[in-house]
Amino acid sequence: MEKEYKEYIVSRSASVTLNVTAGKVDSYRKKEETTGTVRVYRDGKIGVGGSLGKPDEEKLTETAEKALSLGLPYVCAPDAAVEVKEEHAREIVPAKEFLPRMQEMLDRISAACPNFAISNKIRLYGSEDEYRSSLGRHLVSSGNALSIELLFQSRGSGNLMDCFYGYEGTKFDPDKAVDDCRILHDAYYKPADIENGVMPVILAPADLFGTLLRNFVGEVYVSGASLASGKLGQKIFSEKLSLSDDRNYESNPGSCFFDSEGQFSEDYRSPIIKNGVLESVLTSKNTAAQFGLSPSKTSDAAYDGVPSYGVSGLYVSPTAETLSGLVPGKAVYVVMASGGDTTPDGHFATPVQLAYLVENGEIVGRLPELMIDGDFFEMLGDNYIGAVHGGLPGDGQLCAVCLNVTKQ
Amino acid sequence: MIKFREGFYADVRTEDRFRTVIGYQNGNPIEFKTQNEIRAFIRVYDGRMWYYASVTDIGDVQKELDSLYEAATPNRDILSDPVVAKFETNKDRIFKFKDRSVRNISGDEKNRLLLGYLPFLSAEKCMTMPTGYYLDRNSIFGFVSSLGADIAYDYQTCGIALYCNMVEGDKKLSAHWQAGDTLFENLRGKEETIAAEFAEQVKFMRESVPADAGKYPVVLSPEAAGVFAHESFGHKSESDFMLSDESMRNEWQLGKKVGSDILSIAECGEVEGCGYVPYDDEGTKARKNYLIKNGVLAGRLHSALTANALGEELTGNARAINCTFEPIVRMTNTYIEPGDLTFDQLIAPIKKGYYIKTIKHGSGMSTFTIAPHVAYEIVDGKLGRPVQISVITGSVFETLGLIDGLTSDLHMLSFVTGGCGKMEQMNLPVGFGGPYVRVSSMNVQ
Repeated sequence: MEKEYKEYIVSRSASVTLNVTAGKVDSYRKKEETTGTVRVYRDGKIGVGGSLGKPDEEKLTETAEKALSLGLPYVCAPDAAVEVKEEHAREIVPAKEFLPRMQEMLDRISAACPNFAISNKIRLYGSEDEYRSSLGRHLVSSGNALSIELLFQSRGSGNLMDCFYGYEGTKFDPDKAVDDCRILHDAYYKPADIENGVMPVILAPADLFGTLLRNFVGEVYVSGASLASGKLGQKIFSEKLSLSDDRNYESNPGSCFFDSEGQFSEDYRSPIIKNGVLESVLTSKNTAAQFGLSPSKTSDAAYDGVPSYGVSGLYVSPTAETLSGLVPGKAVYVVMASGGDTTPDGHFATPVQLAYLVENGEIVGRLPELMIDGDFFEMLGDNYIGAVHGGLPGDGQLCAVCLNVTKQ
Repeated sequence: MIKFREGFYADVRTEDRFRTVIGYQNGNPIEFKTQNEIRAFIRVYDGRMWYYASVTDIGDVQKELDSLYEAATPNRDILSDPVVAKFETNKDRIFKFKDRSVRNISGDEKNRLLLGYLPFLSAEKCMTMPTGYYLDRNSIFGFVSSLGADIAYDYQTCGIALYCNMVEGDKKLSAHWQAGDTLFENLRGKEETIAAEFAEQVKFMRESVPADAGKYPVVLSPEAAGVFAHESFGHKSESDFMLSDESMRNEWQLGKKVGSDILSIAECGEVEGCGYVPYDDEGTKARKNYLIKNGVLAGRLHSALTANALGEELTGNARAINCTFEPIVRMTNTYIEPGDLTFDQLIAPIKKGYYIKTIKHGSGMSTFTIAPHVAYEIVDGKLGRPVQISVITGSVFETLGLIDGLTSDLHMLSFVTGGCGKMEQMNLPVGFGGPYVRVSSMNVQ
């Protein structure tokens, strides 16, 4: 173990955001930000210096040195020297054409979706992160992405939002965006129905794992409060379930391939569950050492803060090539589900504000408002069907799980 | 001195934000930092589009303002633009915390306060991973506009947030408690409250049973009622959601009956606490606004843009989470006004129902949801066993009409963690509260 160790991190980010009201761009916002961090580790303690704006490494080092006197214990196992650069920044839409081309797309979506009033944000963003350690570790990650997040109000509904379209990626394909929005629009006005009972439910990983993720946090796990406590290394979920924290540019564009402590996994995806086995729980280097866990390589930190665990994005390994291959018959596709939670004994329930009926991989109509619920181990165990990447509007990752579905 | 150009509307908002974070876990310090960030947000409007930029160096404000002017198109009629004509041109200085700023309290004193409360997180064997935070923020806001507005005021919150996990056999609970205030000295003397709150959660962990799913009468604590008001109706009162679809205005006509006769929901940025906003981020002075008065739609929340679009008056609700975002229509302090019952009278007529004491979170769209933390069954007019509930939910309008009892006490709550999220702007500090509220039927899961 090194007696003294230093990390220097610089993050630069830039974005242009368009606000959309009634299908028209009505504002343009630009933002650029640079932050700098120095962390000094000495005698089992950490000192942090951080700055907003162009960093001065010398001054930040002085601040970090002074902060050592605060006596914050931190065990940091230094990583070896390595030089890795992952530079993925590329032009998605020329800056000067960004506004007119987005407006052109919005005009086409408005025409294709006449009963939807369209609002919210379109954002072009990029970042560059550099990490250097006193042991010669040098990492550079850069990338950019386009985010289209459109809210739809069905005209006259009186609701805050009735439907949603989201895309995040490195390609601008207006034809695909228009087609996707048209599918959502047309199906919204075709009533569909199901019987109450257990059936396949298709939902984004964030909707499935959102309230369950705390069970995979190191501190919760070792305290015994996780539903999975004591089960590291055991096969407690479905063979088909593999879940990772995603820092891979291909599936999580705009992400940085290393965590806040300069750690990264081989394919830039750090496994949490692998083929049903609980592989790892979320830690920083310190909590991993403190609790005798393997570092999950998923730490996060404010530019002036002590590292803690974090999640960059969720990656669920696909088990089928197509949605119809994953769920051949009828299924509920959850578009908007907000406000659900899990009880201490693992009962998950959430209202579903918008769901479509899917048959053989195609959206066929809108279902009434639903409640979906299930048990933690059953949802991720015998009732877990699998995952597919793409196949529905937005082309995101989708999980399929058998859940109890009740019409409201 | 900022040089504004003719032919445009422009404003510059600045924030000097001081923060302290002190954290402990398992008896060890895990964070101890003070942070001072100064940012500015610049807006230029040419009557057609808004142009925004944020800077982290106040010295760059003029340069960025000039670059936004270059992107916009001069408009010699800008002063008669109806949105511009809406803006107030207040000149004011309000410094409530100058002599009691958390900036002037030493880190040692803040640390001692927190350390004094940590032992309550290890009071019982079942309590693990004790984690506690002291958090504070003091902000000095400035606002100037090309119309002559010139405002400065301060804002302050501080608080203690305590967490632990409770585990006993198969029984588990993530326990928490927090107190927020505007003055450091008010955070002292919480020992009895903290001990009682964690003792109740230990009992809840040991004795709670799953609730029976279905539709039941539900009594909401002021905390739950405040979140209900915020989520169920507050968000629907943010009138930017009416801009994209003109038919919304027919659906949401003032004077429409939207709730039971005993229901009044008010909103006001002048209330002290984490939702204190004496001037909003467009320089509009705060005022009390009724969203619902005696069950009737009485008003809604506005920025200058939405007030103009709907032909209504400003309300002081254009807010941004910080100087990297533009202000949008947001709540400040939202609360249900009290009625005339005692708590015992409120629960007396309930044969079988549930009382929601504390909550984890809430959300609101066409249906609202509240995820309860500590809840109790009500049997034959009395509180019974602690119960686990995943979520309570209902149609907003149906539920507003089912409110049939209010206690006479109003409690406003202030927090130092979390906050309100809307679109890309998360964790805006807001205050909320109300009396104890009885709803004759809610969906319990």
